[in-house]
Amino acid sequence: MPMPAARTIDVDGIGTRYYEAGCGETIVFIYGGSFGTSDSASSAHTWNLNLLPLASRFRVIAFDKIGQGFTDNPGDDDYTMAAVVRHAGAFLRALQLPPVHLVGHSRGGYAAARLTLAHHDLVRSLTLVNSGTLSPGVGTNEVVLARPPFPKGSAECVRWVYRNYSFNPAAVTDAWVAAVLEVLALPKYRESIERVEGARLGATLFLPALAREKRETLQWINEGRLQRPVQIIWGSEDRTAILQRGLDLFHLLARHDRRVQFHAFGQAGHFPFREHPARFNALLGRFVAAHAA
Amino acid sequence: MLMRRSIQVNGAATVVSGSPDSSAPLVFLSGGIPGITPYCSGPHLWGQSLDALAGERNVLAFDLCSGAGVPHADLGIDALLSHVRATLAALEVARCHMVAHDLAGLIALLLAVESPTLICGVSVVSSTAAAPTGDGVENLSFAHPPPPPWSQAAQRWALEQVSYSHQHIDSALVDACVAAAAGDAQRSAAAAMAAGALAATFMPSLHNAKGRLYEVCRGAGVPVPVQIICGTHDPLGTLEQGLALYQIIAARQPVTQFHALNRAGSLPFREQPAAFLQVVTAFGEIVFPG
Repeated sequence: MPMPAARTIDVDGIGTRYYEAGCGETIVFIYGGSFGTSDSASSAHTWNLNLLPLASRFRVIAFDKIGQGFTDNPGDDDYTMAAVVRHAGAFLRALQLPPVHLVGHSRGGYAAARLTLAHHDLVRSLTLVNSGTLSPGVGTNEVVLARPPFPKGSAECVRWVYRNYSFNPAAVTDAWVAAVLEVLALPKYRESIERVEGARLGATLFLPALAREKRETLQWINEGRLQRPVQIIWGSEDRTAILQRGLDLFHLLARHDRRVQFHAFGQAGHFPFREHPARFNALLGRFVAAHAA
Repeated sequence: MLMRRSIQVNGAATVVSGSPDSSAPLVFLSGGIPGITPYCSGPHLWGQSLDALAGERNVLAFDLCSGAGVPHADLGIDALLSHVRATLAALEVARCHMVAHDLAGLIALLLAVESPTLICGVSVVSSTAAAPTGDGVENLSFAHPPPPPWSQAAQRWALEQVSYSHQHIDSALVDACVAAAAGDAQRSAAAAMAAGALAATFMPSLHNAKGRLYEVCRGAGVPVPVQIICGTHDPLGTLEQGLALYQIIAARQPVTQFHALNRAGSLPFREQPAAFLQVVTAFGEIVFPG
């Protein structure tokens, strides 16, 4: 399914690629993954099965996070989740959006929650999808996806990674793989790989800082600071972020707000919005409508 | 605007609430064990959900048991299933998405197994009856209702027992429950259960019906999409039981979903009506587009 036309906006000096369509309540999608990974590469294309179908009823926006997709890399080697969250907030302000319905997947779920905690005025509701990064408990990404048996950056490697994320291998289409390879081939993305993997900023900067901030984020959630309607959607067969982690996150959030819901999709892995897009879009659309301005 | 009407089903009067046009409906099936559950169920229990959904599509609502002089043999799962089947036939329903509460969740799943062309999707709501129990511990939620049974005080107490909060229980609800308890069907079922039908007929049939369902789940699978909706604070069953039912069905049925609605007991459609409507309508978009 095609994406809406690409646009670019300057966000605090960072050229930022985004895609926008439709009108009405505004839904902003934040995908997962990180900059500088050589075995896979996320971009706004991740949401291509959701944007246009939802655009018939809503204003939908997906953007490339700092250092990912077609958005510029961070300056001063600031390859941190804090930079991702700062950039996401600045993007919402740059577009002068009304309070939006944020949808965050995986690491994007963490970014969406942290952004909400820091800027409640920007967010009307939150949908969190298979976010092992945000959930308490032990993640199994590093186990399931350890050392792909194909050369990094190859189509075979990309396909292997996303098939291991998914319940149905057929969900990993050639178009999805091609979109990932296009990003992996960008000179600016090659540069981020050199910094994050080559210079080891992933291990020495990104992960330790994320661990510190995650502790703070969970503490804030535990204190009831999120204060926005939240739905959690989880693919039950995700081996990298198992169902129990989603339930643990639900129970953490549910203590503080009655408007917290948990939804599990059967026969879906880490990307339920790609494996069952019609069901995902229906549930998201109804949630957004229920929490519209 | 929903209408309340009485139709003849197998020679007995059955009360149905719903849209004037009953084609392609969303069918709400009330649960509770006839003559046993100390609040008296029926279409009134769904609260604002029926009216809210009637704005989108046709709705019908009825309960599991009907008619006076219910014999012991008619208080088993197969007889209740037969009553639902006959009621749908009398209403000339050719295809529907069924939303079924409590015991009705099990009935709806069994009906979907035998008639997947009639039932195109099932929303199972707070159904401990359908969920596996294993060697569970006795549930004491309804152990000591204030006498007399099915009085205003007793039914208010029972509704509170199964709720997260008592706020949704108003006089209109209690009055409707009391009125339902005074009906021939309820009085007749209560008399039959008191005379031994619970142990002689109902419980063995429940055990048998669950076995049939799980056998299907283990084999070919439930042939239609299913979603399981649970309240987080259901005193009659745990969230884990709902999850177990979801996982059993999801193993074979590709379109299976589980939903936990926060701060709700056994009646999530009353305690969290907006969230309940969200998941029912979203599922309906997929399994039975209007």
